[in-house]
Amino acid sequence: MSDVRFLTREIGSLGKPSWRAKTFVGRPLEATDVAEAERWGKKLEVEGHEELLEGLRTGSLSRAQVDDWAAIYAIRLLEKVGLDVVYDGEQRRTEMYDHVAAFAQGFELRGTVRSFDNKYYAKAAVVETPSVGGPQDVEELEFVRAHTDRVVKVPLTGAYTMEDWSYDEHYAHEGALGASAERRYEARRRFVADVARNVILPNVEGLVAAGAEWIQIDEPAATTKPDEVPLVVEGFNEATRGVSAKKSMHICFSDYSALWPHVLELDDCLELQLEFANRDSREPGTRTEDRPGYADTLKLFKEHGYPNVGLGVLDIHSDFVEPPELVRDRILYAVDVLGDPERIQVNPDCGLRTRSWDVVYEKLAHMVQGARLAEHELNRAHAAPAQA
Amino acid sequence: MELKAYAPGIYPRSDALVRATRDLDRGRVEQDAVDDQLERDLREFVAAQERAGLALLSDGMLGWQDLFRPLAERADGLVARPLTRFLDTNTFYRALLVDGKPRLADPVPAPELPAGRWLATLPSPLALARATGGGASPLALAASVLAPQIEAYAAAGCSLVVLADPFVAREGGVGELLSSLGELPQRTPLALQLPFGDAKPVLRELAEAPVQAVGVDFYATSLDSVPEDYPKEIMAGVIDSRSSALESPAEISAFVARLSQRSPAGLSLSTNGDLQFVSEGIAREKIARLGRFQTELRVVA
Repeated sequence: MSDVRFLTREIGSLGKPSWRAKTFVGRPLEATDVAEAERWGKKLEVEGHEELLEGLRTGSLSRAQVDDWAAIYAIRLLEKVGLDVVYDGEQRRTEMYDHVAAFAQGFELRGTVRSFDNKYYAKAAVVETPSVGGPQDVEELEFVRAHTDRVVKVPLTGAYTMEDWSYDEHYAHEGALGASAERRYEARRRFVADVARNVILPNVEGLVAAGAEWIQIDEPAATTKPDEVPLVVEGFNEATRGVSAKKSMHICFSDYSALWPHVLELDDCLELQLEFANRDSREPGTRTEDRPGYADTLKLFKEHGYPNVGLGVLDIHSDFVEPPELVRDRILYAVDVLGDPERIQVNPDCGLRTRSWDVVYEKLAHMVQGARLAEHELNRAHAAPAQA
Repeated sequence: MELKAYAPGIYPRSDALVRATRDLDRGRVEQDAVDDQLERDLREFVAAQERAGLALLSDGMLGWQDLFRPLAERADGLVARPLTRFLDTNTFYRALLVDGKPRLADPVPAPELPAGRWLATLPSPLALARATGGGASPLALAASVLAPQIEAYAAAGCSLVVLADPFVAREGGVGELLSSLGELPQRTPLALQLPFGDAKPVLRELAEAPVQAVGVDFYATSLDSVPEDYPKEIMAGVIDSRSSALESPAEISAFVARLSQRSPAGLSLSTNGDLQFVSEGIAREKIARLGRFQTELRVVA
């Protein structure tokens, strides 16, 4: 048996630096914004960052140039903390839903809806069969590949989440009043299939042709309607049909018990990257009672044997910085339940966009350290001579 | 047949109010700025309902962050805390932690609407109990939180209290719901609305509920789920609060005609749940259409 080595990676989004955010909404930069760019430029050893500072001070940079710098900073952050697999923290994207809805034909924005308290999100309606004129994210990928030697994983919003988060003015509108559940379900199935085939698949094909090694389909809405998990699976399979790259799916803040057995029908899905830490204790320990956030879902992975697990070990909704020992114990517990370290890789629960870069840096660095500690434990146990 | 129309539940905030609350959170404005905009939003919403000719006016619960929060904030023994997904939407409410015996200490003030011409929306006792995750019983919450709130609304001239229960159609619990409804004062008529759920599994049992009307979401419930000669008024959710599409008069007219043929004890029109699931501009147009349907369909119904 070769030494255990866990692959560490992020899930997708990072927060946007203030100098990037303000540039895009047209607000003037302050000295503190430039100071932040300088501090992180030095900390991450971003080559040529003085050019960014000068551009920010003089206002001479275009939005595209600011986007490039934000992407470089994010890539360097992920490299610096030691991740094996990186991307650009989705610095060029507004938000996972809007990024796709604004690009594809067939969607029209319909204002904002409350998420919670005083927080709102933009929501679009599908008004005709969705389509795209070509792949959306190839230039983004090419930029990332040109600026890192690490393995690259491209996060893409899934077809089911696009369907679930949109209004429907096309598929189910006429005759929806008083209609049967079967009719409503069928309308949603057609919507998902069209987004997968006409919007996501062309992007996936373009990305793979441009050298993408790994496509991650994000489906945070996967179990919102538990009886529609089969549509999530159909959307994944249709959106990745025939492509020769690693494929995985990310789901979070959901009822995972609804996923099986349907996810057994996912075609060639390397793993499900799930959120666990959010529902777990913050105390170390490797017993089942120490790990309430992991026990039930890992049993499902064990029982069904497919797919593998992307183990969320960082709570992305908290500034609490998980100690490496806590990360280690979460991993060791997962290994103990699954009985096979090769079925496990390590990541945060979800994208870290709601945390400051200082917190993100510490959290990710500890995640990598925790993975190394877990590997050490496992490899030491394996290497120890058998007791007589 | 008389046909009334209502718009219970939480109405969406205007873009200006969304901006004001966001600015308050970021420390850019004071509470006064939000209160002023809230007042403007309320006036505009009431005017929209008046123009539409709705039978009763709602205040749109514009200051309510979710269906449970103001009650929790004014009750002893309830604390609003963990973010929890509201049904299968992308909107979240704060579930309630029970920290002692729940008791409404200070009722939510009644809106300043003309006495005898307004409706209020509250969670049903079962919905409020579900928001506590089982930490308090529907019976106890009906008696110690909802009953005094309903009394306060009644004293201020409320003409109808709509009890929203988004959970019972999905998760069951009709028995508990029926018992707890019996704890509520009846001096103001009550309606039980089942937002965003297929009412089929519970409609027969709810025929026994001590309420004047049962609100059914007909975008989640098929027409043939309504038993013939239903002994309660059906408050028909014909305006889809989760859809940006505007309802077609022809479709609503045909639907109401078919529903009337099932001969419920009464029929009124409403939204199928909180209009806050669409933006304010869309909601305003839906209110206008609801009023038009009320007027045009009197003959059909």
